[in-house]
Amino acid sequence: MKLLITFAKDIRLAFKSFYIYIEIIMAVLFVAILLFVVPEHFTTEHTVYVALDLPATARDFVMNKLSEGGEAGTTIVLLDSAEAVRARLEQDRSAAGIFISILADKINFEFILQGYEQEKVVNILRQAFIGEMAASVPGFVDHTTVTLLDSQVEKLSDRINMVPVFLVLNSVFVGLFIIASYIFMDKEEGTIKAFAVTPARVWHYLAAKVGVMMVTGLITGLITAVAVGGTQLHLFPFILLLLVCNGFGSVLGLLIASFFDSITKAMGWLYLAIFMLSFTSVSYYMPSFSPLLIRLLPSYPMLYAFRQIFLAAPDYRQIYTTVGIFAVLGLVIFLLADWRYRKTITI
Amino acid sequence: MTQTSDAPMIQVKDLTYSYDRDGRTAIKDIGFTVGRGEVFALLGPSGAGKSTTQGILTGLLPLQQGTGQVAGQDLHRITRSLFNKIGVSFEQSNVYGKLTARENLAFYRKLFDTATIEPMELLQLVGLDHVADKPANTFSKGMKHRLTFARSMINRPELWFLDEPTTGLDPAIASTIKDIIKDKKHAGTTIMLTTHNMTLADELSDRIGFIVDGELKLVDTPRNLKLRYGERLVQVEYKQDGQTRTETLSLVLENERQRLQEIISQYEIETMHTKEATLEEIFIKVTGRGLI
Repeated sequence: MKLLITFAKDIRLAFKSFYIYIEIIMAVLFVAILLFVVPEHFTTEHTVYVALDLPATARDFVMNKLSEGGEAGTTIVLLDSAEAVRARLEQDRSAAGIFISILADKINFEFILQGYEQEKVVNILRQAFIGEMAASVPGFVDHTTVTLLDSQVEKLSDRINMVPVFLVLNSVFVGLFIIASYIFMDKEEGTIKAFAVTPARVWHYLAAKVGVMMVTGLITGLITAVAVGGTQLHLFPFILLLLVCNGFGSVLGLLIASFFDSITKAMGWLYLAIFMLSFTSVSYYMPSFSPLLIRLLPSYPMLYAFRQIFLAAPDYRQIYTTVGIFAVLGLVIFLLADWRYRKTITI
Repeated sequence: MTQTSDAPMIQVKDLTYSYDRDGRTAIKDIGFTVGRGEVFALLGPSGAGKSTTQGILTGLLPLQQGTGQVAGQDLHRITRSLFNKIGVSFEQSNVYGKLTARENLAFYRKLFDTATIEPMELLQLVGLDHVADKPANTFSKGMKHRLTFARSMINRPELWFLDEPTTGLDPAIASTIKDIIKDKKHAGTTIMLTTHNMTLADELSDRIGFIVDGELKLVDTPRNLKLRYGERLVQVEYKQDGQTRTETLSLVLENERQRLQEIISQYEIETMHTKEATLEEIFIKVTGRGLI
């Protein structure tokens, strides 16, 4: 009962402060950007400037090959000379160029690139071109086969694929910072002392704050996930996952804040925690980069569990395992925080 | 420890507390007893250790050294039920600024497991009923202080801790607060008052403890303190050669008693008042320190 009373008071105070509205505005802005600015699928349209110094027959052959082999979204523009290609590339920094000429009775291919391309990209381009040319040799038979380890893997649209990152950073871990702010505001106002001389317990106080963060996270999470995910969203596991992950983030914030007596002193550590947790988004967008250190961060499994929520056939085992692990970890950290605050709350 | 009706409400011995645990003590070897229904004042200047002592007794600060019991509970093993019996009015107002006065009291009221007082009744008592539905952050400092004071009564405490209850209040409001404290005293509430206001301590307390630099120097009733340490004086105004003269003479010192008799027998007396030492004068005499 005391927990409910304290929670009701805290939620009323939360709606009278600005933090909750900032979070909601952030969620609405994010949704607006995703829906009206970010395309559902990213396309990689680019231009290739080509100059040919070839006899007429070779010229026609090369032009045919270039237009046949070009990917969708690639525009080929024919120019008079290599200098013209270079001049155009200086104006269009996203484009690439090719100059094809005859040198000592051999066809010479010169790729003209911007300079910022990775060595890896240059090599892939070179190999792809060689492959394409080899295929045009009479009698060439392609024996290449591609095997996918997971042929059933389901892909999210580029737009929805961005939602888990936002959910983890805004609806889950922003609570880490805000809950600490709430605690320090109470310390500053002295109301924490007034609460401490009532029969209510410290865990009532802490759990009420976590409850407020869960409500905030749920509001912002639902705004984001429902607006962007629509019918693709699996509502029940989503709410469960969101609440557990948000609770975990909030109790982590409580524990960190328990070691400091002002928000100024705690700020550095809270910022560091959020910064570290946000590292996992790099691995999320670039799965080949996922060192053990990043995989150990709590935000890593959370990101992939949130991703599952939007798949047509989600891996419920992965979702509920994540829920279970963070429910247990959250409870342990909450008990630790309660122990810390019982010793330090009024000092 | 079992509480009986004769058992003291507060009994502490050798209380020592250090904020930094570096050997520098905020209070040292404090010991005193407060009986049921008694008003006990800790009188001392700022930083003397009054609030630290109250902090330990109310469970806000951990007991580092010493022993004691408050309202029947051992200070080493305080349970939450203690807070149904005690009320604490803080020196610094600490109310939720974004909640109204009524909402503040309504919230705290629900945290107790004992009979409580209606918020409006308390607000009327401290003269805040007309602003019951205004947010506390629109209140003046004095109004916030009254709200904090009112909140401390909400659970009808048996033991009431008051930290500087009239500081910063205008005389009329301070007088109202003093009247409320007197009413509670007559109703049998045990009161522990911490203050640097010697008039307040003198007016309300059954016994007073002088605390300086974390050490309790002396505990006694205001009357005994005045009898023991106050020099009884007489201030006399008389006519001499057509002019009014004033002299203050000791009733203890022989030569001054003789001088008084001389004045009475030889001159026309206009006024004559006995004058006792104030607590502040006694405090300075006993501790060698002022109260500010």
